[in-house]
Amino acid sequence: MKKSLQIRPSDTINAFLLFFIIHAAQIGIGIQGFQRIVYQDAKHDAWISVILAGLATHIIAIFMLKTLEIYGSNDLYGIHQDIFGKWIGNFFNIIYILYSSVSFFAVLRNYIDVVQSWVFPDLGTWFLAASLLLIIIYTFTGGLRVIVGMTFFSVVLSIGLFPMIAFPMKYMEPRNLLPILEANLGELLKGLKSMSFTIIGFEILYVIYPFVKDKENAKKHIHLGLFATSIIYLSIMLVTLTYFSGEQLTKTIWATLSLFSIVEFPFIERFEYIAVCFWMLIILPNLCLFIWSAFRGTRRLVNISAKKFVWIFSSIIFLVSLTFKTRFQINTFNDYFGQLAFYIIFIYPIILYFFATVKKKFKSRKEQVD
Amino acid sequence: MFKRKSKSSSNENQASMDSEDAGEAVSVPTVGADFIRMVSDAVHHTADLVVKPIPPNLTLIYIDNLVDTVTLNKHILEELLEQPIESPENIVSILSVPQVKFAQKNRESVEAMMDGCVLIHVEGYAQVVLALIPTPESRQVSAPENESQVIGAQIAFNESLSRNVSLIRRYIKNPSLCKEDLEVGKQSKTSIAMLYIKDVASDQMVTTLRQRIADLQIDSVLDSSILEQLIDDNSLSIFPQMLLTERPDKVSAEILNGKIAVIVDGSALAIISPHSFIEFFQSQEDQNLRWQTATFLRLLRFGAVVLSVFLTPLYVAALTFHYEVIPQTLLVPLSESRALVPFPPLLEALLIELIIELLREAGVRLPTKVGQTIGIVGGIVIGTAAVQAGITSNILIIIVALGALSSFTTPSYMMGNVIRIIRFPLILLAGLWGFYGIMLGFCFILVHLLRQTSLGSPYMAPFYPPRLIDWRDSIVRLPLPFTFKRPTNTRPEDEDKYKPEPVNPEKNEQKVK
Repeated sequence: MKKSLQIRPSDTINAFLLFFIIHAAQIGIGIQGFQRIVYQDAKHDAWISVILAGLATHIIAIFMLKTLEIYGSNDLYGIHQDIFGKWIGNFFNIIYILYSSVSFFAVLRNYIDVVQSWVFPDLGTWFLAASLLLIIIYTFTGGLRVIVGMTFFSVVLSIGLFPMIAFPMKYMEPRNLLPILEANLGELLKGLKSMSFTIIGFEILYVIYPFVKDKENAKKHIHLGLFATSIIYLSIMLVTLTYFSGEQLTKTIWATLSLFSIVEFPFIERFEYIAVCFWMLIILPNLCLFIWSAFRGTRRLVNISAKKFVWIFSSIIFLVSLTFKTRFQINTFNDYFGQLAFYIIFIYPIILYFFATVKKKFKSRKEQVD
Repeated sequence: MFKRKSKSSSNENQASMDSEDAGEAVSVPTVGADFIRMVSDAVHHTADLVVKPIPPNLTLIYIDNLVDTVTLNKHILEELLEQPIESPENIVSILSVPQVKFAQKNRESVEAMMDGCVLIHVEGYAQVVLALIPTPESRQVSAPENESQVIGAQIAFNESLSRNVSLIRRYIKNPSLCKEDLEVGKQSKTSIAMLYIKDVASDQMVTTLRQRIADLQIDSVLDSSILEQLIDDNSLSIFPQMLLTERPDKVSAEILNGKIAVIVDGSALAIISPHSFIEFFQSQEDQNLRWQTATFLRLLRFGAVVLSVFLTPLYVAALTFHYEVIPQTLLVPLSESRALVPFPPLLEALLIELIIELLREAGVRLPTKVGQTIGIVGGIVIGTAAVQAGITSNILIIIVALGALSSFTTPSYMMGNVIRIIRFPLILLAGLWGFYGIMLGFCFILVHLLRQTSLGSPYMAPFYPPRLIDWRDSIVRLPLPFTFKRPTNTRPEDEDKYKPEPVNPEKNEQKVK
């Protein structure tokens, strides 16, 4: 098809890196406190919602892949332009760019909030935002290779955090989970919807797919990545539900970090101090992938160099992050953003796939007529 | 900006060199007196120019300190005096010196004279005979001092290019081992040799490296470490991107891996490229030891690096901001030892780290025997006294000493220096923003490393881009039957080092019976 992306071989990445990319893009800031939000909807069956959300990601990923495969080597922005024409397509592109930027902002601002609440109450928002943005700028200007390298190291180095949830298991009370399936389907689906803020990120697939070298292997690694994420969410959710009582959980904003706080070694206590700081490594690839996806879209609209883009983008984000002052504001923002994300990630890909197939059929029929 | 500047100056250089060319690309005069005048003009009547006419028709010219007088007397003067000479060809046939050739141009003959040639001019001929008899090397090859090893060859490079090349040729007798001669430096005219195995080393990399060396517009290259800084991928980075080593066996092993070695005349260190970050922490001894031992030592070394870089910053961060992280049982001895210290942890740590660096620097500069003594005395006296005077805590002394010790385990001295310096910004960050600061520093270093390349190949290989097959010989070393591939990072033309053998041949044979 027309407008398929031409990518230099040196810029392509191996398909099995998609595992790291998808996984790192999903796990970011939401994992620190998704338990409470899901619990509010699905009560102690929240873990079923997590499983459902995990299944949903697999299904959506199939739709995304099918859409992308129709076009061979093109990203979401090109697909929009092809399906809807230049003007409407670009309108959708702008929406998606804004969505990426808002996701970026959500991760950044929430992380700053966590650092301020747990470790450094006196450290200014401006300093945390600026320091993080500078590192992101440094990573981003290195190109896709460096960004993907960061995601790789982020996943590999943070594997060590996962076994830490074994510590709270000493105190767990499995009977908290009983009776199973007390929540009805509506509540479970509501829980799924609440998961969307936590589980998004894999939509980076829409933008990174043309850069994959061996596309025939992509499917396997994408689903592996999604599966790994689901397993982690599920195990954390199960540990949380059995460790906290329901009453307690509704009052715990960052349940995962609270779980970390009981980790104890002979030389380290209060592990959450280290975990919160170490989280920087986990959110960095997240942020870099979002900004990169926004850049790929902007590139389609205006001719702008990566360097210029990243500085303008970062200054805007920096200024906006200063306007959020209270935890309440951030929470409200998260709720709205979660809902927006739900529609963009869980509904829109199906619609887009529908349009793409219709367009394809229409085109092939036209060609036959010709 | 810098680029533009250097370009314009290089153009000027080019122009001036061209004019010199025009003046000196003249044929050798046929008359002896003219030739003498020409040569002495070319060297500006230097005092050590020796002109020795041999009647009836010969003239010998050479620089006094550059030629070996014994050879000159025995093998040149004696033979020339014995019988009458009619033509330059005649001289070549009677001289018992291995390297003799002709020169037709003035410039060529003068340059050869500066290399240690004797110019022999025959009256009436427009060419000179060049007999190369340079003064013998001053230093014999000795055992490696900076990269010593228990198991392995006890020999190091010395300052002679030809000797160094011969050391490598003794390891690799394959005629495909190519040696390319290059010359760098407008003033110094330093000879440089590039060594690689044709059909193993990547052609593209060889071309790139040759181009980088040839493109240098510089006065002089006095040591390979200077050349390394000039030709590596990012000279602004603190991390070296090419290895400097004094071990011929290391160089040979890397050439066999498909890398390219560069040897500079007058330098006892060879440059190896491309070299990835992780390889700086691998010693040649790892190949010589059994794989279990080698793996253990490698892991120890990597652990030491992490410890060396992060231990003091963690101490500073924990004591400045995060007391909560330290368990109570550990907090008591810590606070007891710090009870008398008047400084904040940041200042305390910087002070002790600087003292250790001072001792180390003094140890390097002082003569060997004195250096050791001063090091020990300084370490003990200052350490003990500092604690007793209440300037620092005991525990910090332990931590700092551990860090210093760990940084010595890095086999490459250049990388060891990086490890020792990189600690300071991290200590500062830790003192200012605690664990968050350390994490900022760590992420910055990680991104920086990811951005680097070594001769165009990724610096963080084989971890990123992940090449699982190369992980077999990275922070672990698997047994030799598993590591038969050359590292992918060198993009070798021929991938297999050897045919993978069965892991335990004898046992397999028994099974067949």
